[in-house]
Order: sequence, then structure tokens, then C-alpha cells
Amino acid sequence: MKRKKMMGMLLTAAMVTGSMASAFTCMAADEKPYDGVNLSIMIENGTDESSYQPILDLIKEKMGITVEVEFKPAGSEGTNLIKTRLLSGNMTDLMIYNVGSLLSALNPQDYFIDMAGTDLAATFDDSFTQAASFEGGLYAVPAGSASGGGVMYNMDIYEKYGLEVPKTWDEFIANLDVIKEAGEVTPLIGTFADAWTAQVPFLADNYQVMHNDPAFAEGFTSGEKKFATSEAAFRSWEKLEATQPYYNEDYMATTYDMGCDMLANGEGAHYIMTCGILQNIYTLYGEDVVNRIGVFPVPGDTEEETGLTVWTSGGLYGNKNSENVDAVKAVMEFWTSDEALDVLVENSRPSGPFHNGYKLPDTVFKGVKDQMVYFEAGKTAPALEFLTPVKGANCDAICTELVTGQTTAEEAAKAYDEDCLKMAVQLGLDWK
Amino acid sequence: MNRKRIYPAWFLLPAMSVFLVFFIIPMAVSFFFSMTVWDFSGFTFCGLDNFALFFSERSLSHSVVNTMIYAIGTSGLKVILAFFIAVFLTSGIRTKNLIRSIVFFPNLVSTVAVGMAFKALMHPTKGLFNQIIAFFGGHGPDWLGNVDMALYSVILTDVWKGVSVATVIYIAGIVSIDKNYYEAAAIDGANGWQKLKNITIPLCRPAMNSVIILSFIGGLRSFDLIWSMTGGGPGFASDVLASVVYKQYAAGFYGLSTAGNVIMLILIGLLAFPLQKFLLSKEVE
Repeated sequence: MKRKKMMGMLLTAAMVTGSMASAFTCMAADEKPYDGVNLSIMIENGTDESSYQPILDLIKEKMGITVEVEFKPAGSEGTNLIKTRLLSGNMTDLMIYNVGSLLSALNPQDYFIDMAGTDLAATFDDSFTQAASFEGGLYAVPAGSASGGGVMYNMDIYEKYGLEVPKTWDEFIANLDVIKEAGEVTPLIGTFADAWTAQVPFLADNYQVMHNDPAFAEGFTSGEKKFATSEAAFRSWEKLEATQPYYNEDYMATTYDMGCDMLANGEGAHYIMTCGILQNIYTLYGEDVVNRIGVFPVPGDTEEETGLTVWTSGGLYGNKNSENVDAVKAVMEFWTSDEALDVLVENSRPSGPFHNGYKLPDTVFKGVKDQMVYFEAGKTAPALEFLTPVKGANCDAICTELVTGQTTAEEAAKAYDEDCLKMAVQLGLDWK
Repeated sequence: MNRKRIYPAWFLLPAMSVFLVFFIIPMAVSFFFSMTVWDFSGFTFCGLDNFALFFSERSLSHSVVNTMIYAIGTSGLKVILAFFIAVFLTSGIRTKNLIRSIVFFPNLVSTVAVGMAFKALMHPTKGLFNQIIAFFGGHGPDWLGNVDMALYSVILTDVWKGVSVATVIYIAGIVSIDKNYYEAAAIDGANGWQKLKNITIPLCRPAMNSVIILSFIGGLRSFDLIWSMTGGGPGFASDVLASVVYKQYAAGFYGLSTAGNVIMLILIGLLAFPLQKFLLSKEVE
């Protein structure tokens, strides 16, 4: 019912709006408006194929567009590649890439199709719109679903030790202590060989920060608030420091994939990650195993402060210098349509709610259901990188330093402030 | 008179213009950009801020110290180890051709492949090194995960890989020593150690100097092995200048990254030239 209504709305809207109208009305008439057009899309290496290939197949079938996939490396090397290709005018027609602070470093107004003011843009929720916008332009549509970040825990281990899902930070530490004393499994999985995972426990505490200091993100962007001096933000560093004794012995040599194995096999009890990991475990181990993985947010000091930090979906960007701009726009529209999402959720389980209100199927994983409680109660906040363009480039290294005991929470918070200053200078913000 | 002077200068022109376009101008440009905050659309002049930042922030300045440790460590070990390997391989042993090939073999493998292989070998629980130590009842260290050890583990790997080139240079130096010296020494009743100390070492001095200079400069600008083994980690514990420059560039801090490159250039220049001068002055005629 909802689907019909939505389609109707979109159709009406499309009729009024010139160029887009052609794409939609033609599709309704079951013709292939872009038959024979070839496009290219850049996707991060290692992305689960089920999260994009079904849509690409459908695009080929419905619209006649062949989309060729190119892969980019993860992390800063991938960012480098994108910047180089954008600058040399050699970019793919479409790209799936982070929104938020990484977007603002790309000079998006020069390279990407601005979707602001379109009817499609009006269907996205505020958190995505804010994260994909830069200086008034909206440069991406959601490529997938949002995803909560928090503590993934193995329910079998919780049953075995008779543990309850913690509601406060102290209860969480108490649970970790119980497992550590029993000495059988790793209390907290650390996978610092993939450096980016080191920062997740810190970033996933942002609900607490925004709850206790709602003006933090804004103050941080303007340079008035710092991690070292804001009480709420500094607490995140203290919490990270407190996790020190609980990691697996070889955490510096353990990778993200090994971490997934450890959690699924019950070698580790907790893993602080985003819910995207559930799809990974599902692909590797199947339905039964993944539904024994529960999720709770990184707890705050009181029950009140405990809420979910959310990672906005990656964005699908359109190259405005593409030879087939109309086809690119049509693909971007189609990507977020109910028709495409129906196919997507059939093949790949979403790790959180979609940004355009698409209703999640009942087949979602147990962990996703756990986090939906927080979405329904409105107890969520986006991760800080979606609220401010400033994110320190060395966040992962600074977190690693803290966890390996090279620095204290005070030093780490100060080091991160200095690291962010470099980003602010590069962005031309007036920090001093 | 004048014409005589100008005439040969024309022959310099092709080489000079290549040198100017590809070396002098980029160098001057990078000096300029190291004093700006720039991105692909423009720049703002900021004086020496980048340099000040580089030396004031611990994660950056720390890399200068690590670079020195790395350069001196790898160069020192290579100079000493390669010398003894070369002496061994120029002696009358039977299988020396085979052993020479084996010694040179690590150098044929790509550095990144070596880094990845050693990273696996040095895994704290599953790696071969620690399994061997565990077999003999010991408890191996966390080679790359331990903050105090990571840089030294990479240095050892670098020596394993790089000692072969040094050995080859030494072999060339030792082989070219006139056999008459050894014969004369033998007649005078010199033992092996005396021959080594009084003939081999002084006379292969030019080879030793090449090894010192090459491995020292190589160490100062080393990047690939460190990047593939630790990525500068844990935290910043094994960051060297080159990896810091790369990281700043990747993060989009182009001005800071250019400043890091200029610092690296100056550092290498300041250390390498006096070192070479000193070593050359010590060479025996």
C-alpha cells in the first residue's frame, strides 16, 4: 500500500519536473530509455557483492544501462585515488563513497551532480541530507541503509556466564571482568591490524557526547569546543582507555575478518563495530550463527545517557562531467526507489533503517532488531563525522596509541585536538 | 677569448635544461608550496607555519628521531654483517657460487612481498617465529605489536633483505685486492686475523664507504618496508619521515606534506654530504 502511494507521489512529482520526468514515465511504459548506454561505477574493494550487484542487474534489465564496476582500495589510499581521478577528469560516472567529513574534502561542487531541491532529495531524512550536503548542495543519494555502531556480543557466551545486557558503562565493565576472570574467551575483540577498526569504540560513543553536550558538534566545527576541555567529549577517551585490559593478546596482528571469526565462533565475547559486520558473519556462517549475535550501544554512565550512535549510509555520487549525465541521474533515482530496494533487501540484509522511510522486512538479523528499539525510541545520534566536516586524519593511530598504553586519555584527547586543527586549517576554518 | 669560453658551454645546454626543468624548478616550487596551505584549487601563504607544526606536534617530530634510528641501525648492521659474509664468500670454500646466489636471493623479491611475508612470520601467536620459540618452551615477543620493538623488527627485516647488495659491493672490493699483499704477509708469518685487519679492511675501504653511504641514504628515505609491515604503528611508534609525509598527503594536508618532503631533503643533504666528505678523506691512496 505504502509502496503504491510512494510511487504515485514520485510519478506526480516527476511529471512536473522536466528532465527527470522522461526517465520515470518511460520506465512506467516499460521501455528502455537508455538502451545501450554504458556507465562505470567505483566501489570499495571488498564490498559485499550482494549490496550492489542485484540493483545493477535490475538497472540493466529495466533501463538498458550496462554499469561496469571498478574497485578502489579502502582507507586513505582510496581517497587519494579518488582525488587524483577527479582532478585529472578521469573519474567514473558513479561512485559509492562515504558522506560526512570525507565528502567535504573533495570540493564536491566541482565534480558531483547537485541533487538539492529535487523531489527525490525531499524523501531523505535529515541525518542523510545533512551528511551528504556541502555548502548548500546535496551531492549524493543513499547507497544503502544506515547502520548503528555499538557492542556486538555473542549471546551464547552471555548465557553461559549468566550475563545481562549492560545498561550502563559500569555494568559493561563488570561483564568484561567476569569473562576475563573466567579466562576462557577474549572479553573484548581488538582488530588493530586493520587500523581503522581501532577508532570505532571511540566514535561509537558519540550519542553520549551529544546527549550531554548537544552543542558539541557545532562548537567543535567553529573551534570553540575541544575534546580535551569538553567534559562529555573527554569521557569518550576515558572509556577507550578503560578497555585496555580486556583485548585479545594478539590484537595488534588481528584483522577485521579474523575479528568476525572470533565473534562468530565464540572465541571473543564482545566486538565494538558497526552493524555492517552482521552481513559479513551471515555470508560466512549463515542464519543461525548471525542470530546469536546481539547488539547494544556503547553504554553511557547512566541509563539515560545510553543511546545508539548511527553511521549514515554511504552515498551514491553522480559525476556531473559525465557524458551521460541524464542516465547517471536516472540511475541515482532508481537506486533509492522501492523497486530497487525490494531487490536489495531480498539479496542483502540491511544493517539498519533506510534513509527514505522504506520499511524493513521481518527477516532482518537479531542484532538489527536490537538496535531498532533505539531508533523507535528516538535515542540515536549520528557519529560525529556526519555532524562536522572536521575529522582528524590520524584518529585511528591516536586511538591505537591510547589502547597500547603509549599515552593517557588526557594526552590522546590533546593529540586528537591537534590532529583536528590540521584538518580545520586545510578546510580554511578559523581555528586558533 | 670570449668565444672560446662560450663554445663548450653550448654542450652543457641539453643536460642543463633537463636538469633545470626536472630538478631545479620542481625543487624551487616545492620550497614555495611548503610555505602554503594548498589544495587543487588554490593556495594561501602561511609562512613557516607548516614547519613549526611539523616540529611541534609529537606524532610528526617523533618521526625524525625514528628516521635516524632506522638509518643508523640498518646501515650499521649491513656494513658489519655484509663484510663478514663477503670475507666468508671470497675464501676458498667450495660451494661459494651457490651461497652467493642464496645470499643475493632476498634482494630479488619485491619489498612489499617481503614485508607481508615477515608480517605473517612475526604474528604473535600464529607466526612461525613465535611457534618455534614456543616449541623450545619460550614465549616469543609481539614483534610488530610491541611499541618498543616494532621499529627494530622492521630494521632486522630490512637488513635481511638489503645485506645482499652490500655483500656484493664488498665482494667486488675484496676480490680486487692484489693477491701479492697476502702472499707477502704470509711470508712474514701473519695469521688470518692480522691479514684481515691489516690488508683486507684498509684496502676495501672504498667499497665500505660505498656501502655506508648507500645504505645510510637508503635508510633515511625508507618507506615501502615500514608501510607494508606496520603502517607506522602501533600508533605512531614506527613512523619515519617518508611514512609521515605519505600520511599527510593522503589525509589531504598537501602543504604540510610538502614541508615534510623539504625537511627530508634538507636532512638527507645535511647528513649525507659531510658523511661522504669525511669517509673520502679517510680512504687510503
